[in-house]
Amino acid sequence: MGDKKQLFQDMSDAVVAMDEERVVALARTVIESKVDVYEAIENGLSHGMERAGQLFEEEEYFVPELLVCSDAMYAGLDLLRPHLTQCEGGSKHKVVIGVIEGDTHDIGKNLVKIMLETGGFELHDLGRDVPAARFVQKAGEIDADIIAISTLMTTTMDGMAEVVKLLEKENLRDRVKVIVGGGPISQGFAARIGADGYAAHAGAAVNVARGLMNGDRAHAR
Amino acid sequence: MARVTFFPANVSVDVRPDETILDAARKAGISLEAPCNGTGKCGKCKVTLLGRNGTGGEKDGIAVAACQTKAGEGRAVELTGEWGKESVRVLEAGTSEAGETDPFITKELSTAGPETIILGGGRGLGRENGDTTGFVYGVVVDIGTTTLVATLVDLKEGKEVASTSALNPQSLHGQDVLSRIKLASDRVGLAQLYGLFVSEADRMIGELAQQSDIEKRHIYEMVYSGNTTMLHLATNTDPSSLGRYPYTPVLRGGYLPLPRGGGPGIAEFASLYLPPVISGFVGADITSGVLATRLHERKGITLFIDIGTNGEMVIASDGRLVASSTAAGPAFEGMNITFGMRAGDGAIESFEVTKEGELLVGTIGQTAPKGICGSGLVDIVGELVVHGAIDRNGRIATNGNGRLPGVFKGRLGLKDGKPVFALSDSVYLSQADVRQVQLAKGAIRTGVEYLLRDAGVGPGDVDEVLIAGAFGYHLREKNLLALGLLPESFGGKVSFVGNTSKSGGIAFLVNKGYRTEMKGVVEAVRTIELANYKDFDRTFVNFLRF
Repeated sequence: MGDKKQLFQDMSDAVVAMDEERVVALARTVIESKVDVYEAIENGLSHGMERAGQLFEEEEYFVPELLVCSDAMYAGLDLLRPHLTQCEGGSKHKVVIGVIEGDTHDIGKNLVKIMLETGGFELHDLGRDVPAARFVQKAGEIDADIIAISTLMTTTMDGMAEVVKLLEKENLRDRVKVIVGGGPISQGFAARIGADGYAAHAGAAVNVARGLMNGDRAHAR
Repeated sequence: MARVTFFPANVSVDVRPDETILDAARKAGISLEAPCNGTGKCGKCKVTLLGRNGTGGEKDGIAVAACQTKAGEGRAVELTGEWGKESVRVLEAGTSEAGETDPFITKELSTAGPETIILGGGRGLGRENGDTTGFVYGVVVDIGTTTLVATLVDLKEGKEVASTSALNPQSLHGQDVLSRIKLASDRVGLAQLYGLFVSEADRMIGELAQQSDIEKRHIYEMVYSGNTTMLHLATNTDPSSLGRYPYTPVLRGGYLPLPRGGGPGIAEFASLYLPPVISGFVGADITSGVLATRLHERKGITLFIDIGTNGEMVIASDGRLVASSTAAGPAFEGMNITFGMRAGDGAIESFEVTKEGELLVGTIGQTAPKGICGSGLVDIVGELVVHGAIDRNGRIATNGNGRLPGVFKGRLGLKDGKPVFALSDSVYLSQADVRQVQLAKGAIRTGVEYLLRDAGVGPGDVDEVLIAGAFGYHLREKNLLALGLLPESFGGKVSFVGNTSKSGGIAFLVNKGYRTEMKGVVEAVRTIELANYKDFDRTFVNFLRF
């Protein structure tokens, strides 16, 4: 149905345009006209947010724009979610995310969380100042596919290496991928500590995570 | 072992193959700048590998980051950057409202014979032969993260005799405070940074003594004024707790012994005094600033801000002081900026579009622009915002907007697909640079916001705004407002008080009464941790806009 396609495109555009009211209105249309809610989320809201992430990577958009886009996206999502049937979407890849111990700067982590959530991952947020052992424990507990660690400070970045070591010790290393990011982090650092991935921006984090999950099915419980 | 040879210095050093060229340079005693301490982020430690594989030969080679390149089987390296000959402009002057002379160190003639007794706070510290009562000196070292300013003070007269400044040699091993904390978190690194400070301070004191024609042994007291981390590093104290939340300092200020032999070569019984430290990120330099401006005695609402990497600030409401610090980052010191540099020769320090539509670009030393320093960066971004070349969201306008001033024509363009503003043939401001400025100014504006809220006042209620710090002195109020680094209603209320870390430090030296007074003042200062506010994220993000 062409109408449906147009509706999704409009939703996507409204997210990119940071137009929360319009996103909400379009979400109402989705519900009223009984369009597939799952498709609307995937091809409308998430699609828009991914475009916003792309613009962020291209330096067109900055943190405020990305957050306002996500506000619009979540406003739509809150309306649509109750109309999802239980089994839709299948099982998602699980990500444990947090800021490493000793650091309380979490804006970067929150952006990555938004982008991964939009990108179809299931997020478990441990917050900030999180000890290495807590990441590993949580990952084991929920059978996570990915641990995502962030820090803004040079003085705390070595704690990330600790997470990798602990995973090895717990024999979880081959089950869980580790991705790292933040101000002082570089690709070289990620490689040195044996992490699986690094992204310079929140927008790029989704592709890194997807690349790591490529072919892998979500861990079954 | 692998041999690394540096040209044009022609110095060789043997290192393990897995050590980097930066490691080799440090071993060889070559001052290769590595502001990010070798994390591979800043790219400022570029060197050229000579010949194929960098083993020597042809002149042309490839440029690499020294910190990311292993010594391998040996290398021949050409130093390309500004190694070892950096010029830095340092502000030495500062406001001081300090009063009379009543130093901690005094002298009296012995009743027993031709001998002079040196007293510290009235207690005997040592003796000297003959009558030396005419020679009583002290030194203040303002220990900045980037620069050191040493000042010789005549304690009898309560007057500055001479002052000198230099690059803090530690900055070659990590420009920002966190890199240095990290380096000093093991004994070897701490000893290295401590040693660098002590020998440079010693050299500066020697210079001051010689220039003023006094003997070094007649210097009896040192005051170190600086941020909390710098005080730790200058006293060989483990700073690692400052690098992790809740950033608890080991030192709180007060008297410390100066190590024999290890300290600057002054009187052997000389003492060291550190002004009281407010918190892990609000240091003795800010206490000195409070003293120099008598902030605690001012009527009404006064805001004291040190615009730098840590953006320390104190709000005084009729004597009640609340302090905070913000992670502004080193953008204003030229870090993380494509053509960022310190305030040395060739740095663009001012930028203005005149009423007549002319473009004035000022560089230090009137040379061709090599880069952009902090004040230049504030000017450039401020002017571009005012004239519409940067929009509210921080985007550099691409060509075609008819309302831009004519002088911007041909300067706006794309570099690798991303918008830039050209400042000269080779120097430009990138979109990513604007983002860095947004983060820095957003952090400071957010700090101001929470201090105002804490005091229960709005921006319009502020009576006075005092901007301290060497960098602050070169700023212009209008561009701080244009950037939104300060609220618009601060217009006309901003004054630049200069290096109050130094002037306050001198006050501590010449009048011991201030030590007791400020101990009480600092104990009553409340510190707020911005990250603990629920809406901190949103507030900060809102202030990222221009």
